[in-house]
Amino acid sequence: MSVLSLKHVTKKFGGLTAVGDVSFDIEENEIFGLIGPNGAGKTTIFNCITAIYTITEGEIFFNDKKLEKLKPFEIANIGITRTFQNIRLFKNLSTYDNVLTACHKSADYGVLSSIIRIGKFKKQERELNDKTAELLKLMGLWEYRDMVASNLPYGLQRKLEIARALALNPKMLLLDEPAAGMNPEETLQLMELIRQIRDKFNLTVLIIEHHMDLIMGVCDRIFVLNFGVPLAQGTPIEIQGDKRVVEAYLGKQEDHNAEG
Amino acid sequence: MSWVYFSGILIMSGINLLTVLGLSLLTGFTGLFSFGHAGFMAIGAYISATMTMKMGIPFIPALMIGGFAAMLSGLLIGKLTLNLKGDYFCIATLGFGEAIRLILDNIKYFGGARGLPNIPPYTTLTNVVVINIVAIIVLVFIIKSRHGRNMVAIREEEMASQVIGIDVFKYKMMSLAISALYAGVAGGLLAHYLGYIQPIMFKMVKSTELTIIVIFGGLGSVSGSVIGALLLTFLPEVLRSFYEWRLVVYGAAVILIMITRPQGLMGGKEFSFKGISKIIKRFRNKNKDDGEVKS
Amino acid sequence: MPALHYLNNRYKEVEELTVFLQQIINGLSIGSVYALMAVGYSLVYSILNFSNFAHGGVIMIGAYIGYFSLTLLKVPFYIAFIISSLGTGFLAVAMEKAVYRPLRKRNAPFLYFIISAMGASIFLENIVIASPIGPTFRTYPPIFSTTPIMLGPIALGRIDLLMFVISAISLGSLVYIIEKTKIGLAIRATSYSIKGSTLMGVNVDKVIFIIFLLGGILAGIAGMLFGMKYTVYPQIGNITTKSFIAAVFGGLGSLPGAVFGSILLGIIETMTSGYLSSQYRDLIAFALLIFVLVVKPTGLMGKSTEDKA
Repeated sequence: MSVLSLKHVTKKFGGLTAVGDVSFDIEENEIFGLIGPNGAGKTTIFNCITAIYTITEGEIFFNDKKLEKLKPFEIANIGITRTFQNIRLFKNLSTYDNVLTACHKSADYGVLSSIIRIGKFKKQERELNDKTAELLKLMGLWEYRDMVASNLPYGLQRKLEIARALALNPKMLLLDEPAAGMNPEETLQLMELIRQIRDKFNLTVLIIEHHMDLIMGVCDRIFVLNFGVPLAQGTPIEIQGDKRVVEAYLGKQEDHNAEG
Repeated sequence: MSWVYFSGILIMSGINLLTVLGLSLLTGFTGLFSFGHAGFMAIGAYISATMTMKMGIPFIPALMIGGFAAMLSGLLIGKLTLNLKGDYFCIATLGFGEAIRLILDNIKYFGGARGLPNIPPYTTLTNVVVINIVAIIVLVFIIKSRHGRNMVAIREEEMASQVIGIDVFKYKMMSLAISALYAGVAGGLLAHYLGYIQPIMFKMVKSTELTIIVIFGGLGSVSGSVIGALLLTFLPEVLRSFYEWRLVVYGAAVILIMITRPQGLMGGKEFSFKGISKIIKRFRNKNKDDGEVKS
Repeated sequence: MPALHYLNNRYKEVEELTVFLQQIINGLSIGSVYALMAVGYSLVYSILNFSNFAHGGVIMIGAYIGYFSLTLLKVPFYIAFIISSLGTGFLAVAMEKAVYRPLRKRNAPFLYFIISAMGASIFLENIVIASPIGPTFRTYPPIFSTTPIMLGPIALGRIDLLMFVISAISLGSLVYIIEKTKIGLAIRATSYSIKGSTLMGVNVDKVIFIIFLLGGILAGIAGMLFGMKYTVYPQIGNITTKSFIAAVFGGLGSLPGAVFGSILLGIIETMTSGYLSSQYRDLIAFALLIFVLVVKPTGLMGKSTEDKA
């Protein structure tokens, strides 16, 4: 049974079709890649899955549950979290507080309990703090815990966003260009990290990326989007060999030869 | 300066502070801007005064009833506008503040434009201080919990907060409700201090003055709000000539603060002994370095 | 006698119709001034997605400039208009440069803009009060005779007629600028997407300068018209609350919506004042706001935008 299922999803903005008739299924524990030239509609698909946009046509299923009618925070609560292309950390909060805030769902004490501070409060706050420490240590961010998030080096900011997403105990993680701005060494580390967290937290991962070595190296299957429309789907080897994909990224072969 | 005069200013600061505390939660911590909190004060003032005068209800319960009445109206506004873009909420609070004043001007039961006179003077410095201390403790406890953190997250990055599972609407409502409650109780204290209330006391100027105090003290700082409320209530009283120009200065100051130091006086941090010792240490180290260079 | 009854009733009907039409005319004239205010506000909103709550202060300054042009400088009426609109245009642009641009350049959150707008509005209102100008109400010197122009049984106040005509001309000119000129094209492009139009070579700073200028000019005209019809006092800015509500009613971000909403508000207000009581007149705007929020928050012609991640 697939974890995430898109069926004929279309998103239109007025007269512009940003995403047209996209369908794919992601299996459990897969690392699934979404690639395509800039403006192909990849982030739009993310926004549709996480209900930041309402889809014009089609259906999205998460473990057989329909997603279209849910609000973004409800989608997070059923187990889908994401990172953003242009990092949306809580910039003025410390690294520690970024993750601590995100742990909120692991506690359930009410407002009254936070005022009177007996019962659940102390115990659960301790648990949240333990969990935050654990996540930070795992992601290699513990020594930066007091640093204001906007002062972190770029690569660590991206890691922090992932850490924050993991704080929700998600079943599925959507990563939007996690390797943007990283050098090859950092990209390799990130690949390892993605595999690690997929194994450790039993996740299914959907990645948008432009770094081809990351995508080809870490993904089980890849879906290619071009101008909002599906172009190809398959394993990394199949995709690399697919002429249409190469064309879309590099331009037509004939022109290339003519110029050369 | 007589004690009566001085304690009067203290009481007024305390009343302002109570509303400012609530407003701090709404604007400073959750990032929502209200033009109409004077309206919540008005509701609290009139309802609580009616409770004590016409229904014989004792003071503290009357205050709470006034507060809850304000809270309910806050929830109503919130339900209509907090699901929409930020501007709708601002415009709605703008309209609300003015509408409350106009409505009160026209209701004979509440005395119309003349207002309610002869309100029993139950407000004392003691109960203002006690209520404020309780209010501060409650506020700080909320802020230092997952609920407060969620509100700050909404202020920082609303979209990211959604995505980490925060029910943004619910928390905005919570923040608004609490701020309205505080304002309502403050209104009740005001009514029972002045002995009379009139709609004209709750003009939009009052709402904006309260927000200015929050900004001055620093968005996201409770101690900033305390200092701001004390300072900006005392200053105009003490410097009479300043009084006329105070709003001019405030207006310009607000713009300057937003452009240069939006964190306000306290820099979004709280007053703490650790903070003071840090500043002292830094000062000492600076002197030590100078000494070494000289020798 | 039945014939007499019949004539009596007919007479009453005509009288009622006359009163009704009279109210509509009055409503149109105040509505057109609201429209000038609302459009100035919507213009900025549609591009920057920012509510310029300081707009009221600019309108108020316009009223004062007009007043002093007429009383101190003793210039003819139309010159006063020009001075007033240029003055407020300049003020609006100065505000943008001094207050909003620094915030824009550092990507300040939405909250900071509103706070600064509030600060500017308070500053303007109170600097007038604290200055030698003072809080006293002032009336414009009578420029036109108060005898109304009669259109059959309906009386058209000269000032009301003027308000309507000037508003119509101003709004018409604005529409022309936006629809038919190159700068108007730039404005429309920027209202869809600031990034996109930058990529297309539009100088966004210049566009913002222009819309603040246009908004400021409209504010000056609105201020003068308002001052002429009513009185001049530092709190005139509060009237803009009604125009904000009218803009929401017509649809935030839509210029035709702002006009339509304002005219409707003006008419509804005068109807309420005429048929119910003048006390409820100011409350009607608020009731209208609640109605809009409950039924259709995007207003009559509003566009709903979705934030991009």
